[in-house]
Amino acid sequence: MKFILNYIHKEEWSPYVAGILLGIVGIVAVWLSDSLLGASGAFENIAGMIGKVIAPAAFDNMYFNFIMPPGITWGVILLIGIFFGGMIGAATSRTLMWGKKGSASSDEQWKRIFGSQTWKRWLIAFVGAIVLEYAAGIAGGCTSGLAISGGMLLAPAAFLFIMGMFASGILTALIIYRNRY
Amino acid sequence: MTNIIALILGVFFGFSLNKAGLTKYHKIVNVFRFTDLAVLKFMMTALVVAMSGLYALRGLGLIEFPNVPATYIVGNLVGGLIFGVGMALTGY
Repeated sequence: MKFILNYIHKEEWSPYVAGILLGIVGIVAVWLSDSLLGASGAFENIAGMIGKVIAPAAFDNMYFNFIMPPGITWGVILLIGIFFGGMIGAATSRTLMWGKKGSASSDEQWKRIFGSQTWKRWLIAFVGAIVLEYAAGIAGGCTSGLAISGGMLLAPAAFLFIMGMFASGILTALIIYRNRY
Repeated sequence: MTNIIALILGVFFGFSLNKAGLTKYHKIVNVFRFTDLAVLKFMMTALVVAMSGLYALRGLGLIEFPNVPATYIVGNLVGGLIFGVGMALTGY
């Protein structure tokens, strides 16, 4: 028991142990609520909800009417849970940075590569997130929704997605890091 | 009830992501530089556990699979290619 408690307080788990936990979560999600884990779809549900109010004409299309219907879906609730789960994880290892100085841009490796300005971190995160969400919309899911959840049902789509993700990820990292790769 | 299940599952999902270090920029980028393969180890372990669990449960007749994500070869590949760019930039 003491061992388990100590392990929960550790900042970084073995990826294998954390992976087993996520695998069990994936099984339970299918078993109890017949759904797949996914994060990117929830953002589209929320965006659709906001869009229907602000610009109903622009959002009255196939995608937002049938493929990603707006509303508080199962995925949105899951996303709220993910947020708090991440916070609990950080709190148990006492690395929670909420409201602390330097919490807006805290990654040492990021600062070495891009500099220590906070606005830069936020700008690149914002632009990168637009790219991510757009790509997830094209592919039909993100790392969790397509690669992991699709992969565990042995969907070919998941493995195609992983192939593409790593190919361009490696290329982008090569360009960003150049001779420091 | 389904909402409570979703919330609890989400908490465990976020918790495992945080403990594996996937909430950190350098973990995500370093997998593309081959200097830290934690992301791959984490993803593949989750895949193997969930795969064997799900297929065993389906074999026992306890569950039925939900809709499997559709395959559009071009869409999935192009989506993945753009996704990788964003992933390496933001460390999401």
